[in-house]
Amino acid sequence: MKILVTVKRIPDPDESLKFAGGGLDTSSSKWVPNAFDEYAVETALRLAEVAGKRDRLAEVIVMSICPAKQRQHVTQFLAMGADRGVVVDADDSELDTIAVSKAIAAVAKSEGVDLTIVGKLSQDNEGNQVAQRVAGLLNVPQAGFAATVKWDKNAGTLDVGREVDDGVEHKLVPLPAVVSVDLRVVLPTSIKNGVTADSHKYQEGPRLASLRGITMAKRKKVKVLKLSDIGVSSAGSEQVVAVAPPPARPSGQIVGSVEELHEKLAKEAKVL
Amino acid sequence: MIKDVYACNADTCPIANDAPFRRARKTGEIGGPGGGCRSAELANSSLASREQAISGWIEPPHVNLPGRALPIDRGPVHRVTMALLSDSLFNPTEEHQMLRQMVADFAVREVDPQAAEHDEKGVLNVELFRRVGELGLLGITIPEEHGGAGMDALAAVIVHHELSKYDPGFCLAYLAHSMLFVNNFYHCANEDQRGRYLPKVLSGEWVAGMGMTEPGAGTDVLGMTTTAVRNGDHYVLNGTKTYITNGCEGFCFLVYAKVEGQVTAFIVDRECPGFSTSNHIDKLGMRGSTMSELIFEDCKVPVANLLGAEGSGVTHMMRNLEIERLTLAAMSVGIAERCVEIMVRYGQDRKAFRTPINRFGQIQRYIGEGYAQTQAAKCLVYNVARDIGPNIRNRVGSDAAKLFAAPVGKQVADYAMQVMGGAGYCREFPVERLWRDAKLLEIGGGTIEAHQKNLTKDLTRALGQSAS
Repeated sequence: MKILVTVKRIPDPDESLKFAGGGLDTSSSKWVPNAFDEYAVETALRLAEVAGKRDRLAEVIVMSICPAKQRQHVTQFLAMGADRGVVVDADDSELDTIAVSKAIAAVAKSEGVDLTIVGKLSQDNEGNQVAQRVAGLLNVPQAGFAATVKWDKNAGTLDVGREVDDGVEHKLVPLPAVVSVDLRVVLPTSIKNGVTADSHKYQEGPRLASLRGITMAKRKKVKVLKLSDIGVSSAGSEQVVAVAPPPARPSGQIVGSVEELHEKLAKEAKVL
Repeated sequence: MIKDVYACNADTCPIANDAPFRRARKTGEIGGPGGGCRSAELANSSLASREQAISGWIEPPHVNLPGRALPIDRGPVHRVTMALLSDSLFNPTEEHQMLRQMVADFAVREVDPQAAEHDEKGVLNVELFRRVGELGLLGITIPEEHGGAGMDALAAVIVHHELSKYDPGFCLAYLAHSMLFVNNFYHCANEDQRGRYLPKVLSGEWVAGMGMTEPGAGTDVLGMTTTAVRNGDHYVLNGTKTYITNGCEGFCFLVYAKVEGQVTAFIVDRECPGFSTSNHIDKLGMRGSTMSELIFEDCKVPVANLLGAEGSGVTHMMRNLEIERLTLAAMSVGIAERCVEIMVRYGQDRKAFRTPINRFGQIQRYIGEGYAQTQAAKCLVYNVARDIGPNIRNRVGSDAAKLFAAPVGKQVADYAMQVMGGAGYCREFPVERLWRDAKLLEIGGGTIEAHQKNLTKDLTRALGQSAS
């Protein structure tokens, strides 16, 4: 089995935003991997490995669309345990969601993957569109916002649990498929691959790269493609008009009495 | 909830924001727009707090983010640019950068939550120690073909720096194991000895240490009185080593003893008859690691456990002391850096006379000087780290780094405590622990007086006028 995991680098969400020229200024940003992509890679690794042994049930390929020289996040995921990488050398900030989805679908097709795992959204623009679009482009089933994944190898299906408002919904999807993962997928027993004991408890959260993983990462294979190699055009259908910070919050007022408060709510705020 | 316990404003108090208080505060007090956490399991889970931060339900925590720049580094663009240039000193390669990120994440997730408890009990967290082995950190300087990571002294500095921000005591046990034993052992052991000991000390199954100091020989180490006498297929050791880190939990030790007056290195393990350890020697700080005496009473050590040749011990000792001093200096940098973070945030949030205390010049002096001293120590330590390795001798560099950096950790911890006042003195908060831990670095691995002595001797040899 081949699993493709999409990963993205984003400006560190813990840094304060800077604006310049009607958009975000990321020239001095620290770039970090998108957290949901860390969960996606962890999901793939748990599906692929037999806990405590070296056997692997699947090959895990991490894919990113980014300038080829700025692929430190891909190296980090290789250090975490992914087998090899595919980098589509392009400025992803210039691409809209459909161009990104087409590139992913093209790589998934050319690699012949059985499962594509993506984070439910990237923390920078919070689009939450890629999984759905890629599934559509590939014409395969999708299961979004996975909280649990159980792989039945004989049947060739995934049982994907999704936490919805009134409980947990289970979708049984035949492979090949596209799955997007939510936060709870990295709880200790969220992933079951049928070979690692169902009772096995992983450490909560995406795993830390081991030192061996770190020293091996640079030696793993990373294929670099151009958009033209996979027949995708960067011309998109969406356009960013402007990005601006929200207006500063006005300072509060201290009112002297309930009557005054009532009057202000009614006349100034007009909410009564 | 937290407000009651800590009697502070949990939203702004830097300490209530500090892990692990941060976790309790965020999961217990604040829910998300969807009604908060769905189950008790998740309510207690650190993931729940992470999700809140990710989806913007609450303001992300602004403290102790693993591997993130200090808020004070996040200023104007020219500052960031400076940080990027100096990054080639602190993280010369992508591997170093990833190592720092990994250790920083590990420290926040797994080391910090247990630090206060093990400090109070005065015991080593052996389970966590094995986890360090799983991550591959115990053999950081050992070549890959022997099961290590094959990284350099600067990588070792990164690990000690990042671990010491959260638990210098635990880091000291790591140092005693991976620097004093593993690194030293590797360079003086033969293939048979490496095969017998390395796999189990690299995994952490065996905790290890090194025995040099004696009740009557500290800075004057060559005055040691432990003796080894060859008797057929074994040596007979007699004497006592003291203040040995990892003595209580350790299985094997690299021990120096004199064979016919010549310092010689041996491996002594728990299976050697006549070898024992004393009770735990209780201490002021660094309580996340233990210390005891190593006692040799007609202790029989197989000849196969002789390291190198008889009389070659001083060479091994002096070579290894360099990386030992360098990594101890890195621990001081870690303590100082954490204390700067803490006092900057406290100075911003704590008000006195209705004014944040960082508006007062007295507080600004502690913050400003603490930061400057920390940066100076950090730059020196990382610069010296580039010139330390198994094939380079650099006693001047390592002595200078530790001589300068050790008092900085103590001084900056003291500044942070002074900025925090009563809160800094209390066990609820990490500063008093860091303050106690920092003192050791002026004593262990060579007292500052030993560094002054060595530097004067080495510099006179290099720069002084030759005797006519």
